[in-house]
Amino acid sequence: MTSSLRPRQGAFGSFGGRFAPELLTPALEELETARREILPTRTFRDELDREARAWVGRPTPLTSAPRFSARAGLETVFKREDLLHGGAHKANNVLGQALLARHMGKTRLIAETGAGQHGTATAMIAARFGMEAVIYMGEKDMERQAPNVKRMELCGAEVIPVTAGARTLKDAINEALRDWTASLSTTHYLLGTAAGPHPFPRLVRDFQAVIGREAKRQWRREFGGLPDVVVACVGGGSNAIGIFHAFVPEKRVRLFGVEPGGAGLDSGRHGATLVRGTPGLLHGARTMILQDDEGQILEPHSISAGLDYPGVGPEHAHLQETGRARYVAATDEEALAAFEVLSATEGIVPAFEPSHALAFVLRARESGEIPAGARVLLNLCGRGDKDLETYFALGRSS
Amino acid sequence: MSLAALRASMRRGPAVSPFLMLGDPTPDLSVELARTAVEAGAGMLEIGFPYSDPAADGPAIQAATGRALAGGTSTRRGFELLRRIAESCPGVPLNLLVYGNLVHRIGYERFADTVTGAGASTLLAPDIPLEEAAPLRRACRRAGLGHVELAGPRTPGPRLRRLARGSAFVYLAGFQGVTGVRHGGFAAVLRRVTEVAESVDVPVCLGFGLSSREQIVRAFEAGARIAVVGSHLARVVERLHRGEGDAAVLIAGYRSAVLGLTAGR
Repeated sequence: MTSSLRPRQGAFGSFGGRFAPELLTPALEELETARREILPTRTFRDELDREARAWVGRPTPLTSAPRFSARAGLETVFKREDLLHGGAHKANNVLGQALLARHMGKTRLIAETGAGQHGTATAMIAARFGMEAVIYMGEKDMERQAPNVKRMELCGAEVIPVTAGARTLKDAINEALRDWTASLSTTHYLLGTAAGPHPFPRLVRDFQAVIGREAKRQWRREFGGLPDVVVACVGGGSNAIGIFHAFVPEKRVRLFGVEPGGAGLDSGRHGATLVRGTPGLLHGARTMILQDDEGQILEPHSISAGLDYPGVGPEHAHLQETGRARYVAATDEEALAAFEVLSATEGIVPAFEPSHALAFVLRARESGEIPAGARVLLNLCGRGDKDLETYFALGRSS
Repeated sequence: MSLAALRASMRRGPAVSPFLMLGDPTPDLSVELARTAVEAGAGMLEIGFPYSDPAADGPAIQAATGRALAGGTSTRRGFELLRRIAESCPGVPLNLLVYGNLVHRIGYERFADTVTGAGASTLLAPDIPLEEAAPLRRACRRAGLGHVELAGPRTPGPRLRRLARGSAFVYLAGFQGVTGVRHGGFAAVLRRVTEVAESVDVPVCLGFGLSSREQIVRAFEAGARIAVVGSHLARVVERLHRGEGDAAVLIAGYRSAVLGLTAGR
């Protein structure tokens, strides 16, 4: 069964592939050719490195966290992607893809956004490169994330409300795909996560893998050897694949992806596609998805809008299937508690997304999921400014 | 048996093929609309299974999908409705438009067997392109169900011939875009129909953005054997549906819309 279902293009084991309408084939083939021919060139690499340093703010530091580590009972070090321009790892991907799009002669960028982080990053790079940007955002998300809408518009992007379906991230992706089908000669679809039809999962990974490459080098220099455990949160999975990629061949480094457990895995209100989903076809790939028994896509739930996605990058489905990485879930409540712990112990206010990864580390020693004495590298993929309003509205007293 | 219906229909002449969504505007009315379309001269029917994420469809079909799902039609209910449509429209080829995940979830073989048993002739999964279609094609062949491939305005010649091989017919999207939205003039569409019809040896079906008898006649003259009208009719349903109890207006309006496309033949 598994071998017969192995996709023909861009497979990760039985996952991945290019399950997109024929009308998108020319655009996807053009993009794959560009990925193969333009990405490795000296000109492109130099431009990417220069902009990554000067505009995005690479490299980001590794930060030891003694007081957080004491709370967790595990020595934990953060890769500080929260310090990137825009406040999250998203800048790595938008820079790479926009540069590629420019080389391909595209003048217009379209993107989907849930929480508004990827939309904002796309709007920023479009402004810098003088390109037109159109951002599709679920109407419901626009209400939840009004400041980000203003930020995108300030950078000159047009934000189009998506009123179809559940009016959230998955519907915004559908709408961006519809736009692209009609506009592919002038337009690049700047997909925000390591999901979608081939070549997107590889393309996004290519641009996010800098996180793990840098961290590995920094860890060797600053601490010696390699971490025992690498932890990252997983929604679509771009920050996680970004930090995992350099460590996948290092078999003794254990990899953990932390999915949004929402109101609890048994509540049915969560976004834990790897932990609780089933294989299916969504947004161009065979991957793990949240669906009912007739194949209708279910609406996920998470306090973190950035993890609120009913699918996941196909490479994660493969890493899970082969046992190379383990995927677990942290609930909204656990994530909020971890958000408070990190703020109070280290003076770093994390985004809700990496708060899930932090929550896992905080419980992992007691639960036995990580053995005592292990050294942990955690991808702190975004800062929490965008979540403060939501947090304060909850009226918690920390 | 089912493919035979398609072949017989093709021998009778070019077919106007209204698209309708199972369960739209209600389960019973969708069966009623199918029968009405055939009485009004439809030589074939395109039948959609409602799916939560129809990324290849424009606003009109999305709205039809929304109505069907809201009325409780999903895949299993869809099988029942398909059977009822096949029973009330004997001899009319039924081409299914089904997003890949619905087929994948049930299982390619089981899905193909079930819809063939229910009376379908052919199946097109718009998001399973040529490269990934092998398992689905095998399942269709085993079930005796025809498989249909989608082609676009930019699909190059060699690829067209590859996707036509083993296809019951080629479904050509007239415009580069989603269903029901037109980009550019119709003359280019007609030239493309002729080009495709001359390069493949299976029937060519034209869809996406057709809404008038005049266009259909010209498409047939250009070499199309099937002309699909979807969004235009979905908008008729949207405009006229006032609830199950008041179906007469909808049925009458739908009949006259289909008659306008078929000129009664």
